[in-house]
Amino acid sequence: MNISRREFTKIGCRVIIGAAAGTAIVESIVSNGIAAEPSSTGDYDWNEHYWGYVIDTRKCIGCGRCANACKLENDVPFDEPVYRTWVERYRVLKEGEVKIDSPNGSIDGFTDDIPAEELKKAFYVPKICNHCENPPCVQVCPVGATYATNDGVVLVDYDYCIGCRYCIQGCPYGARYFNSKKGTADKCTWCYHRITKGLLPACVQACPVGARVFGDMKDPDSDVNKILDKERINVLKPDLGTKPKVYYVGLDREVK
Amino acid sequence: MQPHLKRVIFLLGVVIVGFIFIRSMVVPASYGQYGAYRADSVNELRNFTVEYAGSKSCGDENCHKTLYSIWADSRHKTVNCETCHGPSGNHVNNVRVMPSPANDSREFCGKCHFERVARPSSFPQIDPESHGENLKCAYCHNPHKPWFV
Repeated sequence: MNISRREFTKIGCRVIIGAAAGTAIVESIVSNGIAAEPSSTGDYDWNEHYWGYVIDTRKCIGCGRCANACKLENDVPFDEPVYRTWVERYRVLKEGEVKIDSPNGSIDGFTDDIPAEELKKAFYVPKICNHCENPPCVQVCPVGATYATNDGVVLVDYDYCIGCRYCIQGCPYGARYFNSKKGTADKCTWCYHRITKGLLPACVQACPVGARVFGDMKDPDSDVNKILDKERINVLKPDLGTKPKVYYVGLDREVK
Repeated sequence: MQPHLKRVIFLLGVVIVGFIFIRSMVVPASYGQYGAYRADSVNELRNFTVEYAGSKSCGDENCHKTLYSIWADSRHKTVNCETCHGPSGNHVNNVRVMPSPANDSREFCGKCHFERVARPSSFPQIDPESHGENLKCAYCHNPHKPWFV
């Protein structure tokens, strides 16, 4: 091949300019302009909020009204064993064995099938998506159908999800499930349609004893910050580095 | 320029333009606006229907004002209306749509108040076997203003 440096540069420039012009022309024909300004920045500015959730396990009475309200609010298949939030019962037997159960996610309540004399201690632990600051479920999604919003909520794009269930496997807290109605992965949204309108998540509103508290961590006077500033708190599986935003008060060492 | 070089450059151009064309067809318009996801899905999730309207909407001036004020002064004031009565969003939007009546069975009250080992001991609990002779709780206790003996 015989080509001078000048020639090569000329051809190279032409190719680049041609490709750029072609791109511009095609883009102007095909794309329907820049996406419309989303209404989420209208009355609600997600940069002004950063949501957090506190669960006081010492208050929970295991009535399951939270799990019930969640299913009704969010159209979760009611008769299937899938839950966005649920309550677990931990029972430490006198010989040291730990029994953990959550019949129907606590919606039907609990019955004492082990007599109190055999138990060292027993307590309830409500569980929910931790909306991790560093979410493993978002990392593993192959199509970008799950993401963390600027206000700290991990959501699923139901139109874009292909239902491969990697995220369900990836969540170390078991907080995701497969929605058979939608054919996609599904999870707690902290009731995003409610919190962006100034309402509380359905589970928090349904709790009769105030064991669940929700609020804005950017607001120093919010209910969540009042507890975070005063109580001794912990998160689930802190060693994983997921940085959960669901904080627990009175968490036992047996709780995983 | 030699003809075979021209052909290669032409083919490369076709591939680039084809890639851009297909990409612009496949990738949703709002993708990448905030990050590696479809920005419109945030709005779709925001527009989901609210089912639980909240206790304040029950206590409106023209609605259940009296019952609301009784409840708001009672030991059950931490229990929102819809925790027992169920979601009322449809009823609040259109009062002709009646919500299903509240569950007044012993088992329903028992979800909170039957004796259970795992409950905090300070929480009021009864032994369903020995208490109340299997009568409905509301026979003695007003659920909107419960009293204690």
